[in-house]
Amino acid sequence: MIEIKGLTKRFGDFTAVDHLDLTIHTGEFFGLLGPNGAGKTTTISMMSTVLLPTEGGIAIDGQPLTRKASAQKRKLSVITQEYSMRQDMTMDEVMEYQGRLYNLPRKVIREKSDELLDFVGLTEFRRRTVRHLSGGMKRKLMICRALLIEPEILLLDEPTAGMDALSRRQMWNLLRQVNGRNMTIILTTHYMEEAEALCDRVALINRGKLQKLNTPAALIDELGAFAVDETTEEGLKSRYFHDRSAAIAYLTEAGAQASFRATTLEDVFVECAGRKIG
Amino acid sequence: MGILTVLWEKWVEFRRDFYKITVAAMISPLMYLLIFGMGIQTTSHGEPYLHFLIPGIVAMATMTGSFSAIAQNMSVQRLYEKALDQVMVSPTPLWQFILGQIIGGSLRGLYAGGIILLLTWPIRTDLIFNGLSIFIMFLNGTVFSTIALVLSFLAKSYTDAPRFTAYIITPMSFLCNTFFSTEQMPAGFRQVISLLPLSQTSAMIRAIANAEKPGVFGFVVLGVYLVVFGLISVVFIYKKKNL
Repeated sequence: MIEIKGLTKRFGDFTAVDHLDLTIHTGEFFGLLGPNGAGKTTTISMMSTVLLPTEGGIAIDGQPLTRKASAQKRKLSVITQEYSMRQDMTMDEVMEYQGRLYNLPRKVIREKSDELLDFVGLTEFRRRTVRHLSGGMKRKLMICRALLIEPEILLLDEPTAGMDALSRRQMWNLLRQVNGRNMTIILTTHYMEEAEALCDRVALINRGKLQKLNTPAALIDELGAFAVDETTEEGLKSRYFHDRSAAIAYLTEAGAQASFRATTLEDVFVECAGRKIG
Repeated sequence: MGILTVLWEKWVEFRRDFYKITVAAMISPLMYLLIFGMGIQTTSHGEPYLHFLIPGIVAMATMTGSFSAIAQNMSVQRLYEKALDQVMVSPTPLWQFILGQIIGGSLRGLYAGGIILLLTWPIRTDLIFNGLSIFIMFLNGTVFSTIALVLSFLAKSYTDAPRFTAYIITPMSFLCNTFFSTEQMPAGFRQVISLLPLSQTSAMIRAIANAEKPGVFGFVVLGVYLVVFGLISVVFIYKKKNL
C-alpha cells in the first residue's frame, strides 16, 4: 500500500503539488489525471525520489520512502515521461545496466531481456543504440526496462505518449496482464479513454491539488451519465443529465444543433479542469 | 555491487569510445611536450626542461582525464538524458554510485596519464615513475572526479561542463606547477596556488621522478580535497531537493 500524506512541492514561489493526500492499495490500477502543469509528473518524480518533497511524505507498506530506503525502492520501477536512458547504450546494455542496478544475476537479466524484447517486437534491434531508435521503440524499451526487475509498484508517467494506436492497445493489454499479477500501477496519462479502460480509481488533480477521487464510473455518474452536446455561438457546450429522459427532452428542445451521447471520463476531466485537454 | 555496476557502465563507455578517448587524452599533452619540451629547447635548474615538464604533464593529464570523464558525462546524464533518474529510483545505495563514479573517473585519469608515460618512454630522461607515482596519479584522479561530481550536480545546463573546464581546469593546467615552478610566483599568490591539488600532485610526481621523497603535505592536501568534495557529493545526491 502506498500512502501519500500532505505531499507538497514548491519551486520558489510556485507550488507544483499542494498538500496531496492519497492512499493507493496493493494491486490497484490507479490513474493520476490532470491538465498540463497540474503536478502529475512532479508527484511521480517524488515517488521515484528524483525530487524530494518540500513538505509531507510517501510511505510504502508503512515505511517512509527516502533516497536511502533501498528496500522500498526495490519494489518500485518507473517509466518517466522523457526517455531517461543513456543514449549511447544499446538496448542490451540498457537492460543489463538496469538489471545490475537491481543486483539481478546476469543469467536472469539475459533471459528476462530476451523474453521482454521479444514480447514487444524489439529483438532484431537489440544491438542498436538508443539514439538510433524511434520514439515508439524507446518507449517500448523503457517498458521492458521497467518490467525487467518485476516490480511490485510500477509508476508510469504517460507511458503511451508517442505510440501508434496499435502499439497503445498492445501496451494496454500488457499493463492489464502485469496488473493481474497483483502489481500496483500508478499511471498518469492525457488519454482519458486509456484511464477509463485501465484504471480502478482515478484522482483528478489541478494546480497541485486533489479535485476528485473515485472510480471512473462513479465520477461519470456524479457528473451525469448522459450528455447533450450543443453547438452555440460560443462554440461546443455540453450539458450533463442523470436521467436519460431529461437528456432526451433537452435534446428535443435544442433541435438540430444538438446531439446525445454517453458521458465519458474526458467530460469529467474537462468539467473539473475547466478547459478542454489537448 | 553498486560500485561494480558503475564501473561496468564506465567500461561500456570506454570500450565504445576507446579511440576518441585515447586520442583526446593524447593531443593536448603531446602538443605541450612537443612545443615546450622539444621545440623550444631550454633548461631548468641545469637540467633539460623536458625533465621538469614530463611529470607536470603526467599530473595534468590525470586531472583532465578524470575531470572530463565525470563532468561531461554526469551533466549530460542528469540534465539532458535524465539517465540519472534510473539510478535514483533503483535500490543501489547512492554512496556506492558516487564511489563508483570517483573510482571510474580516476581510472580514466590514470589511463590518460599512462598514455603520456608510454609516449615519453622512448625519450631517455632517467626520470623515475614507480608504484607510488601511479598511486599519486590515481589519488589526483579521485580528487578531480569528486570536484567534477559536485560541479555536475550544481550545473543548470549540460553546456555548463565546458565552462567548468574553462574556469577551473585550464587555469590550473597553466598555473599549478606544470610548466614552471610555483616557487617563482609572488608571495601570497604562491601560497594559494600551492594549496591547489594539481600543484601538489605535480610536485610529488616530480620529486619521485628525481629520486626524491615526496612530502607528506601533498598527500594531506589531496586527502582534504577528496574528503571535502566526496562528502559534498554524497550530501548532494542524498539531500538535494531537485536533482
